[in-house]
Amino acid sequence: MRSSKSRGRFLALCVAPAAILYFVFMILPTLNVFRMSLFERGAYSPAETFAGMANFRALANDTKFITDMQNTILLIVTVTIITFFFAIVFAAILTREKIRGQNFFRIVFYIPNILSVVVIAGIFSAIYKPENGMLNSILSFFKGETVMVLWKDQPMVIVSVIIAMVWQAIGYYMVMYMASMSAVPQSLYESAGLDGAGRLTQFFQLTLPLIWTNIRTTLTFFIISTINMAFLFVKAMVAKGMADVGLSFMYAQKDAGLYGYSMAAGVVIFLFSFLLSALVNWVTKREVLEM
Amino acid sequence: MKKFFSLLLALALALSLAACGGKDSETTPPPTESNGGQTQTPPPAGDVTITVAALASGYEEAYPGMWQEVCDAFTEATGVKVNLICDKNLEDVIGPSMQGGDFPDVIHLATGREKGLTEQFIKDRNIAELTDVLNMTVPGESVKVSDKIVGGFTETSVTNPYGDGLTYLAPMFYSPCGLFYNAGLFEEKGWSVPATWDEMWELGDKAQAEGIYLFTYPTTGYFDAFLYALMYSVGGADFFNKATTYAEGIWDTPEAQQCFDIIARLASYTNPVTPAQANDQDFTQNQQLVLENKALFMPNGTWIVGEMAEAPRAEGFKWGMTALPAAKAGGNGASYCWLEQAWIPAAAPNLDAAKQFVAFLYSDAACAIFAKGGAVQPVPGLTDNLEGDNKLFYSIYDNGADAAMGSFAAYNAVAGLGTVREVFLDPVNGLVNGSITVEQWISDVKAASDQMRANIMG
Repeated sequence: MRSSKSRGRFLALCVAPAAILYFVFMILPTLNVFRMSLFERGAYSPAETFAGMANFRALANDTKFITDMQNTILLIVTVTIITFFFAIVFAAILTREKIRGQNFFRIVFYIPNILSVVVIAGIFSAIYKPENGMLNSILSFFKGETVMVLWKDQPMVIVSVIIAMVWQAIGYYMVMYMASMSAVPQSLYESAGLDGAGRLTQFFQLTLPLIWTNIRTTLTFFIISTINMAFLFVKAMVAKGMADVGLSFMYAQKDAGLYGYSMAAGVVIFLFSFLLSALVNWVTKREVLEM
Repeated sequence: MKKFFSLLLALALALSLAACGGKDSETTPPPTESNGGQTQTPPPAGDVTITVAALASGYEEAYPGMWQEVCDAFTEATGVKVNLICDKNLEDVIGPSMQGGDFPDVIHLATGREKGLTEQFIKDRNIAELTDVLNMTVPGESVKVSDKIVGGFTETSVTNPYGDGLTYLAPMFYSPCGLFYNAGLFEEKGWSVPATWDEMWELGDKAQAEGIYLFTYPTTGYFDAFLYALMYSVGGADFFNKATTYAEGIWDTPEAQQCFDIIARLASYTNPVTPAQANDQDFTQNQQLVLENKALFMPNGTWIVGEMAEAPRAEGFKWGMTALPAAKAGGNGASYCWLEQAWIPAAAPNLDAAKQFVAFLYSDAACAIFAKGGAVQPVPGLTDNLEGDNKLFYSIYDNGADAAMGSFAAYNAVAGLGTVREVFLDPVNGLVNGSITVEQWISDVKAASDQMRANIMG
């Protein structure tokens, strides 16, 4: 009895620093965001007046906020679908097929992930440059005449952001799926092969179900991180007002001196990301297959 | 062993909490109290240290160490030590600690920047009044501060934001803004710089025939100086003052219509790649359009010469700068005078020493140091010593252009109401690429202007 008690105390003490730090630096600020969203205040002045739900009512009528959230959703949906499609396909090819230079491809795909967004914005600025940019030069070469697509202007701007975000994200998720795919025993594929299953059937009947748990988890990660990444990419790459997302709106309101209002936007985005992950979690629920 | 562990953990906890606590006790007492301890000893006192936060702009780049040198000179003159924070992204460096209640004593950061930090302080009435600084003697000299500032510079809405005759922001570096072009190209083609907008459109058609667009702009942010000058040249001081205070019906007047027409027409003469590059990442490529003779004019400031010093350019390139053309034949062109401000947060811990520092910024010693970086203050006689391109740029007002000074009046921020830049200027991108119509833009401006008037400060 005594030993279990002191053991419990020891464990509590071990967990305490992390728990307290987490509480002080994560939980408290988050609660504070909720509190401040009910007030009207500037970022740098201590004076604040209680506004109740006024900030949220204003948000619901703010067409700018609604457009920005639409952009956010568009980016989340398209970037997620494209990234996951390519990440899974590339991972399957690189693990299942015999290709020369597998490691080389693995590294090449992974590199974008370790670059900072600013560097990526610089790279894509060269790719998207209207005159003599890489993409326009390639298009001109195939078309035989000078093509001048304004990638960072309406209406292509959102496509440009999507391409950059997909390029950045594929490698990381591909490596994750490669790890879980290589854990699928070779014998399963062999017996499936003996039963007459082709490559595609093997992929859909074996590989996908067996890495499903992994896909589910990464999907939730990805959606939450895309909300933030979308902001970083839009901020670094394109002009203000062209393809603003929810978090751009939040920052813009802070800079306009509406701290409470920007916190209200933060609360809405916070709840939105929570609900979305819950939804994705629920939709992707399957019976877990054991090997 | 267990005891040792718990002790260690407890220690770690105590330390981490103490770290937070220490910050708290440092920042929570209201500024007036923390004043007490430090400024009781009247300056010059050896133990006072003030914190100065200054934006590292193109001037600091042109002469690295400029601000540090000024701070050292101040310490030498008064004995007050200075802790300098000088950064390109000053808002990000001082912003978080200010949100925690820890303010620098003097901040040199202009209005009109994207993060709008200075505007937020104005809106929150969080800036110390500086009117008494004008009557102080410049440290180390026997002249009053007001005698060292050219008349008019402490009477604009940029320095007196509440329109009550009180100065809150000290006028620091000013530079004329205008349209920049390749003077070499104009000589080569035998074109003359247009004096009216009609001549401008004629030139636009002529240039178009040679495959050169009339206009480009780095980002829509550069339209603020452009719009101010345009309003001034079209409607004079009266219209300018009414428009910048959002007077009722001002956007329905013929003058306003002319301003809208000119910007809309200019958009149709703009190099179409401009909006695709009008972002913080690529704006230099828009500036490059002028260097490479792909566009004739762009609105900019005198810092452009230093900013593009290393950039490749067309043969025979020579910087030229002109004021905005006159609205009608025989009228005056106008150039906006862009002014950077230095100010003291109301919660500055060392208010007296901070005021001394602001006064010192106008001393001969400080002016000479700033001049090395090419920064020009509104101090009499300073423009006489300018050289090269700068001499040409700063002579713009001597050549008959009206000087527009001031800015849109501060208004209380309202949820759902965009900033002046968002509503008035950012849509120019949309005008060029055709994603919004001129009518839509004008009606948005009118609606926002009404709301701004309703919430105007002062």
